[in-house]
This record gives sequence, structure tokens and C-alpha cells, in this order.
Amino acid sequence: MKILVKVVALSVAAFAIAGSAHAAGGKRMTVTGEVIDTWCYLTEIMYPEGTAHHRCAVWCAAGGIPVGIKDDDGKVYMVLKMESDTTNVVNPAILTIQTHKVTVNGDHYRRDGIDYLLVSKVVEDAGIVNQTHQKHGIQP
Amino acid sequence: MRRILYACLGVFLLGVGPALAADEWGLAGEKTARFEAKVVDVLCELTGDCLAKCGGGKRQLGLLNSAGKLTLPLKNQTLFSGAALELIDFCGKQVIADGLMITNRGYTFFALQFVREAPDGKWRKANRFLGKWAKANGIPANSDKVDQWYEHDPNVKRVLAKDGKLGLGLAADRAYDKTQK
Repeated sequence: MKILVKVVALSVAAFAIAGSAHAAGGKRMTVTGEVIDTWCYLTEIMYPEGTAHHRCAVWCAAGGIPVGIKDDDGKVYMVLKMESDTTNVVNPAILTIQTHKVTVNGDHYRRDGIDYLLVSKVVEDAGIVNQTHQKHGIQP
Repeated sequence: MRRILYACLGVFLLGVGPALAADEWGLAGEKTARFEAKVVDVLCELTGDCLAKCGGGKRQLGLLNSAGKLTLPLKNQTLFSGAALELIDFCGKQVIADGLMITNRGYTFFALQFVREAPDGKWRKANRFLGKWAKANGIPANSDKVDQWYEHDPNVKRVLAKDGKLGLGLAADRAYDKTQK
């Protein structure tokens, strides 16, 4: 009987460890930056920030291109989760904050050179503050 | 300007050639690439938080090769659209992905141009987004609205009707437009 209890206990422990293996990879952090269209920003095929690019960013988010948050150092975090919603393609909450400057709390994962962020809470939404259209026009 | 049209919009004007090799789009840091990988839900792969059928098109999908390397596709071959709807039919399956591996601004990501089930499925051009969008929105696939889906998409229309093309409200749009006349 003692052996059976030990086996069960070990099995439960092993299951718990396996189940938390993925979650253990995330690093809790706060990110402040602009919500961006990752394709246009990372390819640099046009001016990709602020009001000049807002309409395109909405199009691209609605088309399912991954949405990111670019911090002041230029690091881009692919948003895979927004608060309680774990969908990340044409996510309504993400769609409506394109180009906004936000501060979020979340879990950061880096995998094969890409930074991913699971946003647990939008701490602050300053709206659109990066007014670039007078200098760059509307692109494309 | 042509570079912008080809690259930003992901337009593929040359059709499906017999060799089905990826086309260059003139992007900085691009290289044509073809590789075998499994189609996975990225969030599921990273955290174990999985939905049935890879989220049914509501989650970003990645390409996981046999060495465990996860590649993120950002783009397909139609205007302003991503790769999730191109890959969703292959959820959990091995595919051959063909397109551009792009390294720029310190990140490496992928633009999917063609895909087929491994090892010898039929090639698909990564443009299924348009047909799926049309069906989801009750629009005939041959409608002129489909190619310009972004002008007719209800999500886009709702956001832009409220915030305007600059995101600053409709009054800001009007003020800007006056300066352009």
C-alpha cells in the first residue's frame, strides 16, 4: 500500500511538473510602447508608426497579421493574448488599440529570436500620441 | 513605389509558375526558403494553453521543424493579411512551406507564398484568405469587393468610422484632408 501511495504521489508530482513546464518559460514584465503592425514595421517597406500608418495598421490587424507592441528601444513583442482572451487573430480588443501608446503587464517568452507577450493587463492606454501624419502623410 | 506595392501589400502578380518557387519581393534581408515543418498554434506551443483545431483560425500559427525551431509567418500573398487562415487547414500536420525568410530589425520571420501537405500534397498558393473572408462576410467570391476586402471589412469599417483614418477622430481627418487640397 505504501508503495502504491508513493507511486501515485510521484505520478502526480511528475504530471504537475510537466503541466507547468510551458508556463515556467514566461518572464513577468511590464512593457510600454506603441501597438504596431508587425509586418510593415519589421520589413520597413514604408513609414510604419503613428497616425501616418494608423489606417494600414487597422487593415493589417483585421487581416490577421500579428500585432505587436514596440517599446522605446525598438524591441517588438508579438501579442498572443489580451487579458482573458486567448485568441490573437483579429482580436477585437487588440484591433481597437492600434497605434495607441500602452503600458501592459504580461508574460514574456522568447523563442527562436522572436519576442512574444501574453498581456495579462493593460495598465494604461494613453491613446494615439505619435502624430506622424503631417511629416509622413498617410501610408500607403 | 512598385517595391512598396509588391512587398507591403504582399501582391503576387506573376501567377503560379510551374516550378512553384517563391518569388523575391525586394525586401531588405529576404531569402527564398522552402522547409518542412509542423503547423502549430504558437500560444499552445509556448505555454501549453491550447484550443481545439489550433483555434480554428483565431490564433497565430507557427511552423515547427524537426529540430524544434519555431518560425513565425507574418504574411500571406493577399493584401494586408496574415498566414493563419492559409495554414489552419493543416493544423497539426507536416507541411512544406515555401516563401521568404526575412531578417530585418533584428528579427527573423517568414512570408508564406505556397504550402502543401508533406511529403507530396498539392501546392496551394497562400491566398485562401480572400475566399474565406468572402464566405465569412456573405459576399460572393467573384465580387469586386473581395480583392479590396479591407475597404469592406466590417471590423475595419467599425474602427475607422469611429476613430478615422488617423485614429484621432473624424474632425482630425477633415482637418488633415483640407491641408491636402
